Amino acid sequence: MSTGARTVTAPGRSGVVGARVPRVDGKEKVTGEAAYAADIALPRVLVGKVLRSPYPHARLLRVDTSKARRVPGVKAVITAEDTPKIPHGLFVKDTYPLALERVRYVGDEVAAVAAAIEEAASEALELIEVEYEELPAVFDPLEAMAPGAPQLHADRPGNIAYQLSVERGDVEAGFRQAAHVIEERFTTHATYHAYLEPIASVVSYGHTGKLTVWASAQEPFMTQAELAEALHLPPSDIHFIQPHVGGAFGGKTMDDNHLYISCLLALKTRAAVKLVNTREDEFVASRPRVPTVIDLKVGFAGDGAIVAKEARVVSDNGAYTSRTPVIMRTTCIRADSLYRLQNLRTHGYLVYTNKIPTGSMRGFGNPQMHFALESVMDMAARELGMDPLALRLRNATQAGDVTVHGWRVASCGLSECLERTAAEVGWRGARPAPGASGTKRRGVGLACATHVSGRRHFGNYDGSSALVKVNEDGRVVVLSGEGDVGQGSRTIFAQIAAEELGVPYEDVDVTMADTESTPFGMGSHASKVTFVGGNAVRVAAADARRQLLEITARLFEARAEDLAIQDGRIFHRELPQRALTVAEAAKAHIYRQGGEPVIGKGAWDPPSELHDKTFYGNISGAYPFGACAAEVEVDVESGEVKVLRIVSAADVGRAINPMLAEGQIEGGVIQGLGYALCEEIRNEEGRVLNPNFSDYRIMACEDIPVEVKAILVEPVDPYGPFGAKGLGELVVAPVAPAVANAVAHAVGARITSLPITAEKLFTALRRPQASRPATPNR
Amino acid sequence: MSPRQKRQLSLEVNGEPYELLVEPHWLLVDVLRDQLHLTGTKIGCGIGVCGACTVLVDGQAVSSCLALAVDAHGKAVTTIEGLAREGRLHPIQQAFIACGGFQCGFCTPGMIMGAKELLDRNPAPTEEEIRAGLSGNLCRCTGYVKIIESVQVAVRLLQEEMAGEAGAPVSPGPGRHAAVGSGQGGAR
Ligand code: FES
Ligand code: FES
Repeated sequence: MSTGARTVTAPGRSGVVGARVPRVDGKEKVTGEAAYAADIALPRVLVGKVLRSPYPHARLLRVDTSKARRVPGVKAVITAEDTPKIPHGLFVKDTYPLALERVRYVGDEVAAVAAAIEEAASEALELIEVEYEELPAVFDPLEAMAPGAPQLHADRPGNIAYQLSVERGDVEAGFRQAAHVIEERFTTHATYHAYLEPIASVVSYGHTGKLTVWASAQEPFMTQAELAEALHLPPSDIHFIQPHVGGAFGGKTMDDNHLYISCLLALKTRAAVKLVNTREDEFVASRPRVPTVIDLKVGFAGDGAIVAKEARVVSDNGAYTSRTPVIMRTTCIRADSLYRLQNLRTHGYLVYTNKIPTGSMRGFGNPQMHFALESVMDMAARELGMDPLALRLRNATQAGDVTVHGWRVASCGLSECLERTAAEVGWRGARPAPGASGTKRRGVGLACATHVSGRRHFGNYDGSSALVKVNEDGRVVVLSGEGDVGQGSRTIFAQIAAEELGVPYEDVDVTMADTESTPFGMGSHASKVTFVGGNAVRVAAADARRQLLEITARLFEARAEDLAIQDGRIFHRELPQRALTVAEAAKAHIYRQGGEPVIGKGAWDPPSELHDKTFYGNISGAYPFGACAAEVEVDVESGEVKVLRIVSAADVGRAINPMLAEGQIEGGVIQGLGYALCEEIRNEEGRVLNPNFSDYRIMACEDIPVEVKAILVEPVDPYGPFGAKGLGELVVAPVAPAVANAVAHAVGARITSLPITAEKLFTALRRPQASRPATPNR
Repeated sequence: MSPRQKRQLSLEVNGEPYELLVEPHWLLVDVLRDQLHLTGTKIGCGIGVCGACTVLVDGQAVSSCLALAVDAHGKAVTTIEGLAREGRLHPIQQAFIACGGFQCGFCTPGMIMGAKELLDRNPAPTEEEIRAGLSGNLCRCTGYVKIIESVQVAVRLLQEEMAGEAGAPVSPGPGRHAAVGSGQGGAR
């Protein structure tokens, strides 16, 4: 095992790292062969269905399932009484798989049914009698914090699920030095992951006493552990197999109740159960992005240096706690490492409301603060009479920095990302002037962002492990428990293994994650799979290579150091005619007395550390940076914003596969535009008003800007596998502020509340101080 | 549960004739997935807005989550499973692999069927026509950029195939992961 060893040493051996190779799962996916959870067919599988609360807050007086049980074909009707009543939650255990005594949001799971056919399950659902006593409810987090507000959880007074304070340097002294202080309130809203595959699971339970689980979950081993705890089973009695997953974006961390319920139904019926969310289930009971109210105050010296920052963050937890304590912490802390700032103070409050519980969504709390901070940067540039690009470059974090929270930034392409995105929208030397024609105004804006590549947290571990098997025909199989939810991890692992081992990419397969056969991995979160999982694969491949060289050395009676592997051939460096294939070496190693297969083993834990009590510490092994620039056209009559061009540059360390890396950027940017402009879960008195894709609009092909450009910046990280860092989440964060800044540039009106709708802009344009024509900040 | 009257349904799916007994309210997507086990066709929304369930019925793109199975009586249905012929991927499928026109792949069967109908109707669409033509198919992963590119490459591959370059047929290529050519490198 290598802990935090610098891994960029030996050069690649197959030239496949950095190549646009096709994905390993391509043929399955374009032919419909790839099986997702809902496609898993088992004989006599039962259909599951869930009954949800119609009230935002109520006492459960009576749940009578007797009529429902009598429907022919119904095998089980369960309520909290049929469960171990163990609450789950990674940080605050307040979520029961089925509501216990009280419901706290519209959508809260009350009962579940398993039946032989769908019609019977639906009929049974209708026959469950529930008597509710409605309780006063609260929907706004600021109101929920106020004295006298309805209380959601008895052990969390004031509806505070979690709070934190962090302070560095001398904030008061910092503000005293400030020539300009910007102070503003920003609000961000709830958005939904909108992965195309609704959450689904097939769970089988029989006489082996094991639960076999196929589910659209993004963290195989963590899901296994969390299920085990809430179901009161040993983890090894839960065999989790990850099928193809139709996108996750943080929404398939299984913090919601879906998978607990399908497992409970299987346990109760001792049978196989399939539970598939409808899209409406998803909108009312998954775990959407955390809405926030951010009061931000930032002081700047006359030369643009940031001298102090103060923030108060209120995060809307909804009715139960998923990963929101750490999401809120991310909102409070992460963006501080974008710039060289020293004096700051932040208070954060995570507040319960009677709404859908919120959770992790691509960026993990980071897009929220980046919207606020990066809007403030442009507001400050205007006050200072500085170019917004120059102001950012003035403060930007650089490689070698130790940031205010103790991040050790080994590689950093922030300035390059800023310069290249800006140049792409015509920002050469200075910001181009806003344009006008008829009722249309044009402007450009930019913003930047930082994120992590994994985050040390769980039992002081942030690592991964892998096995690399070399078969007797020379083909290679990589086993990793990280899984793939669509981002392409299996392809990246195949490239890394091929490169390290010296075999052709086409000879490498990567298995699906399976808790019984693949080694431990924590799965897709914190943009860590390429960085951490990829390093583990690289270490395992190096181990397999060492074995192949030693085998060949014995056969050749040579020294292993004198041998090399390239393109699947092992040869003597000085006597290249002395050579054999990887297949021959692997075969010779097995078919002999005392033979054994070639299996490389690898584990890797990054050179990061747990933060201390004050949240200071180098929490991740590598930090990606990025920037985004947008050109918009605003119709001043209607307030409509059209994004004409969007450019995103990401410091990925090294792109293992540029085609996949660009795909991450493009997809993230379009999700970011949805967050900025059109997506919003609308809620009225606790009811979701738009629980479907016709009322909740994600961007379609015709809605995207005419020009979407991805730029890869590759400073090569010393710890990344072949230099690669995390990418997936980073790219979302700068999009909304870039658009807000472009809108302000075009029309002079600053929108501080997401999404930037035509209505909001229409109103802002008619406010007296904003109705003046656009005044460009240079 | 009241016993319902089942009806005889004769249809052709991917060139194979089928005789099925279906209830009048059954949806085409459920019959394809649950009766015929053709699970390549996906359900993303169930209300006709995401396009994941797109199949061709007599050459027309149809949201099979809205279509009644009985309405396909006497018709020919093509699903994603029917596109590759004799182990050879259709040029649109090859183009999606070569350009990385998918990530999770859940929208892909519907997207490819949508693209198939588009290119059947209009073999040389402009970029704008591609954008408009695919707007009934949502994708959350890719941001569409590489999907548009895939369709553009598919147009070229189809043209080459039409031109009948006998010596250079479009084939899945020698590499196991490859779509076109050697597998080292995509469309550019
Ligand atoms: S599932 Fe048919 S259109 Fe969405
Ligand atoms: S590839 Fe995932 S939805 Fe399109």
